[in-house]
Amino acid sequence: MSITKKTDSKSRRPKAVKQSASQRKWAIGFIVAAVAIWVFYTYIMVHLPDGAQTIVQNWFPPTALNEAMVWVIAALGLNIVVGYAGLLDLGFVAFWAIGGYTAGWFMSSFFRQVNIHILSTSPKVVPGMHISFWGVIFIGGLICAFFGLIIGAPTLRLKSDYLALVTLGFGEIIPQFFVNGSNIGGFNLTNGTQGISPVDNIGVPGRSLSPFDFSWKFFIFVLLTAFMVFMSLRLRTGRLGRAWLAIREDELAASMMGVPLMRTKLSAYAVGAFSGGVGGVAYATHVGGVFADRFNFSISIILLAMVVLGGMGNVWGVMVGALLLAWINSTGLPAFGDLVNNTFHTTINFPSYNFLLFGGALVLMMLFRREGLIPESRLKAILHEDDESAPEIGGAE
Amino acid sequence: MKKTYRAVGIVASVAMVAAGLVAGTSAADAATKVLTISSDLPLQGSSFDSNDSTNKAIALYLKQIKYKAGKYTVKFKIYDDATAAAASWDPAKCAANAQAHVANKSEVAVMGTYNSGCAKIEIPILNQAPGGAMTMVSDANTNPGLTKAWNPGEPDVYYPTGVRNYARVCTTDDNQGAAAAQFAKSIGVKNVYVLNDTQTYGQGVAQAFTTEAKKIGLNVLSSGAYGEGWDAKQSDYTALFTKIKALNPDMIYVGGIFDNNGGQLMKDKVAVLGDNTAVKFMAPDGFTGYPQFNSMPEANGAYLSFAGLSSDLLAKIDPKGAGANFVKAYKKAYGKAPVGSYPVYGVAAVQVILAAIAKSDGTRKGVTNAIFSGSGITIPAKVSVLGKALSISTLTGDTLAKDVTIEVVKGGQETTLKAQTVK
Repeated sequence: MSITKKTDSKSRRPKAVKQSASQRKWAIGFIVAAVAIWVFYTYIMVHLPDGAQTIVQNWFPPTALNEAMVWVIAALGLNIVVGYAGLLDLGFVAFWAIGGYTAGWFMSSFFRQVNIHILSTSPKVVPGMHISFWGVIFIGGLICAFFGLIIGAPTLRLKSDYLALVTLGFGEIIPQFFVNGSNIGGFNLTNGTQGISPVDNIGVPGRSLSPFDFSWKFFIFVLLTAFMVFMSLRLRTGRLGRAWLAIREDELAASMMGVPLMRTKLSAYAVGAFSGGVGGVAYATHVGGVFADRFNFSISIILLAMVVLGGMGNVWGVMVGALLLAWINSTGLPAFGDLVNNTFHTTINFPSYNFLLFGGALVLMMLFRREGLIPESRLKAILHEDDESAPEIGGAE
Repeated sequence: MKKTYRAVGIVASVAMVAAGLVAGTSAADAATKVLTISSDLPLQGSSFDSNDSTNKAIALYLKQIKYKAGKYTVKFKIYDDATAAAASWDPAKCAANAQAHVANKSEVAVMGTYNSGCAKIEIPILNQAPGGAMTMVSDANTNPGLTKAWNPGEPDVYYPTGVRNYARVCTTDDNQGAAAAQFAKSIGVKNVYVLNDTQTYGQGVAQAFTTEAKKIGLNVLSSGAYGEGWDAKQSDYTALFTKIKALNPDMIYVGGIFDNNGGQLMKDKVAVLGDNTAVKFMAPDGFTGYPQFNSMPEANGAYLSFAGLSSDLLAKIDPKGAGANFVKAYKKAYGKAPVGSYPVYGVAAVQVILAAIAKSDGTRKGVTNAIFSGSGITIPAKVSVLGKALSISTLTGDTLAKDVTIEVVKGGQETTLKAQTVK
């Protein structure tokens, strides 16, 4: 059967080379696209006639692009947990929330008891903790990585459905903690549902970015995304990444071959959570505030949908999936609805069909393209193994 | 050859359409100065009915005044600050909207938002708009901290450039809670138990109620500054009310919004404590404007307060006034009354914006200055849809009126009981 195919080292080598070549192509494509978009919004857009500018503002506003990049960062984190290590996580919003609150704590005037300024561009007279965005990204990422370990620890003995349930619980508990955290032994840690706002603007050398410096923010978010992609790809080809893939495909076999299950799974949670935390910090600075009751289950589900739709395990697929779904949710559906309503003079409320369309798209994807928009070659091979081997089995019998 | 002709034809027609689009917009700009005002409200989830009514009311009002504000022509644009995924306002959407308001060059002022949380995001962004802060006038944000000292740091944290750019035409939670407490005393309530939905708005109202109730000598049975929180995700509140029953209150005051499982709370209250004549039930304007709530048999007899004057009251105070006439015109145009009382306040907010535009030089900065400097904006009683003169404080942006309406749910309708002016 196909065992011979898999162990045949001659046929695998060239494939690996081909794979890294295709990765390079994607990476170059990503850089070219990012530069093109940046140039367009920074230099070309202002010279377009008013009509064309309105069309761009309605269909591709720069702020929606930045928001989509934030989703990409978080989705890349979830991809490590779900796509690489095969650990279904239904509570990823927890890391998003923790990252967001880290930004809320360290980049705002919320803790008025103190007056700490570290490389921050906010005026010195403003009380509170004001730490540079670049520092808070790492703090947020590391706090989340720590919580990733905490959630990982009890789930080590669990598999599939049970694991998903534990992560679901974690995703519900953390936001609830933030909702109720306004009075912890008399100390106001989270400000409850009133949330923390506004969060400081991102500072770059020499100035602080106003909410309208889209190009700068886009540049920063692309930089973060590029770092996440680089990290994902390097980890995947390394020892740890191969261990993750082994666990994803067959946990028992992997442990028989000497893969330390505990350490490998925990590191998947920690690395994934790190990205989630960075995404959370980026989200809080993008929005300019955090509100505990806005971190709900649907964020976990949309992130998961991004990973599955895009192509589990393939960073480029996940990126495309995340960009697509984020755009549909924030801009695409309302803009399309306006277009239809204005053209045909109807009053259909398109955004209310959002979930129907999401659900429909996912069902169709699972029927016709289970491996996602841009599948990972390895996963594709596994999913289509049956198709290839079916006639062989028939022949053997 | 044929192919070439066709290709040329296609190119030519595309070019013509494009040229037409460009020419069309620039010609319109040259003729009269058209300024855009917008509304920014959540148009998904359970507050849709009320906010949709607000948009309709504003569209009708602009049609009545022939889209004129002084020497300028105004256009109305609708923004939605909710997403389907959240089924209510979404912080990222609020931020995106604020940036879109600024990016839209013809837009000079915003009517919104509906939720105070959303305002907390939009105000600082509009405040930092390049070329001068853009003004937002809200019909429904009742959180006091947006304009006056409330929590530490408020309201200055929302105005990073130091300039004020936010006004509102409704009164704030502190007034509403206080009025509710005064009303409770006036109908003979002695012992009251306070609940809140743990959200910004709910806690704010509940806190104001508790403070005032204690001050005027009511016995508050619940502990804490804003009473006990109820969890919106819980499916049943029987245990909560059984606990409360032992304390024997005459009234339950509920600070919160109906969206947070208010229906279940109401049902379980009646199931455990009896109907609303035995133990009274009172809620703030977070429960107004919901047909689902009013039509519940359990809601019959529940008291509601509204931070302003209700549409009914407008007709009662002055049946021939601008407010009453507007509600009549709305009924005539759309075949039914506006949902809740916020739509009329939406129009009042638009009146403030239009008056500011008329006084300004047609720029954002001019509109902001018209409201926050000099004599400020006052809408005379003769034209104000609120039935009486409406003045905006140039210092805080708050309305100077402190009217609160007390309503009672009767026969599936919100009916106005009386106006309670805060003492």
